[in-house]
Amino acid sequence: MNKSHPLMVLARLGTFVLFPLLVVLSAVWWFKGASGEGMLVRFVNALLTSFTLTSFVLLFTLFVYGDARKRPTAPLFGMCLSGFIGAGLTVYFLSQGELLMEDNGSVRAQALSNIIRFGTTMIGLGLAGMVVAGALFSSVMSGPRNTILFEEE
Amino acid sequence: MEEATQAFVFFWLAGLFLLFGFMLSFFSKVHWQRRAGLFLFGTGLLSLMATPWTLPFSPSSAFGHLLGSLIGPSVLLGVGFYQITFSGNVPVGKLGPGERKIGFVMVVGGVLWLQGMHWWHLTPTYPDEVNRYWFIFWPTMLLGVLAISSGAYGVLAMVGAQRQKEQRLMGGVAFFALYSILVGAFFDGPNVHSERFVSQVFLAAADVFGALVGALFAVLVFALVLVVYERQQPDPDRLEPPNAEQLTQASRMIAQQMEGGDEDE
Repeated sequence: MNKSHPLMVLARLGTFVLFPLLVVLSAVWWFKGASGEGMLVRFVNALLTSFTLTSFVLLFTLFVYGDARKRPTAPLFGMCLSGFIGAGLTVYFLSQGELLMEDNGSVRAQALSNIIRFGTTMIGLGLAGMVVAGALFSSVMSGPRNTILFEEE
Repeated sequence: MEEATQAFVFFWLAGLFLLFGFMLSFFSKVHWQRRAGLFLFGTGLLSLMATPWTLPFSPSSAFGHLLGSLIGPSVLLGVGFYQITFSGNVPVGKLGPGERKIGFVMVVGGVLWLQGMHWWHLTPTYPDEVNRYWFIFWPTMLLGVLAISSGAYGVLAMVGAQRQKEQRLMGGVAFFALYSILVGAFFDGPNVHSERFVSQVFLAAADVFGALVGALFAVLVFALVLVVYERQQPDPDRLEPPNAEQLTQASRMIAQQMEGGDEDE
């Protein structure tokens, strides 16, 4: 059996995930001529919010990790720092005039709006994952069982 | 109570309860902690969904309204897929064929309900216009279904043996999502104009890519923190190699096992 390099497998998987997205976005852009205005601001806001919140969520998982490692404080400190750096960067960039501000009047309102939008994005992706996983498992379980034949035995 | 305090208690604290409760029930191995996590999750979710009544003055209550609007189709899809999956070829806890049909009807109902929110008069409206978070949710979900089902198609093609049927299904799901996006971009719904939908698809794509890149960076930092910590740990004590007596005892036990010796050992 051919063993592919893990990076090659990852690249192929990335192509499978990204190619249809790029095709549909290109098609819509080509035929409807969307301006794409505000995309960069949304991208950066989503990136900063996601980095900060994911850091805090991963910080929580360290408590589980700590069960097997005599509760070390160094990784907790590292992830706390990461989360606070993310929050600091978010506040810093939001404070730079109109750079990352959308339809909100203050830095706090924009930061809170980013968090709610991130939550909505996660719900959308979560429900999408549920639909795909549900369809896949329904199909896998409804077919006959695959039997693996071992030649040696 | 002051408006800001009300918003903190009924929205942000509830959101923290939801997240903390989910993680506690998911990660904890202690029974009472998992139950407490589920309780926190349920309390947080209910409080968020009640925000149209508890925080009618706050724009954030639109998020709670969206959550409430999505409960119906989510339950139909979740329970429907559960019924179909567990009425299939499962070794234990198999459901009857009747439940399979009910599950199928529930899944179709859930999909039609979601599509009806775009193409019919079921669009979440709050307070008197289309809920602004619906414009973020629907394109995100369609893009998510397209990306995840295409990824699943790729995984099945790379590692799945005799999984052509599942591959075709994943291709079909991806095509359905792609078709829904294209139709939404070219035709107006009763409440959502196609131009608005197109701009929201691009903004949703920016949100999804931004969220993925941000999460990836956080995971990389997490891995780096753990690698640095683990490298600083002293090596574990090494055991002495076995002496002749221990080797003799081990070989005697192995020989006994090979010859069908006592099961006690």
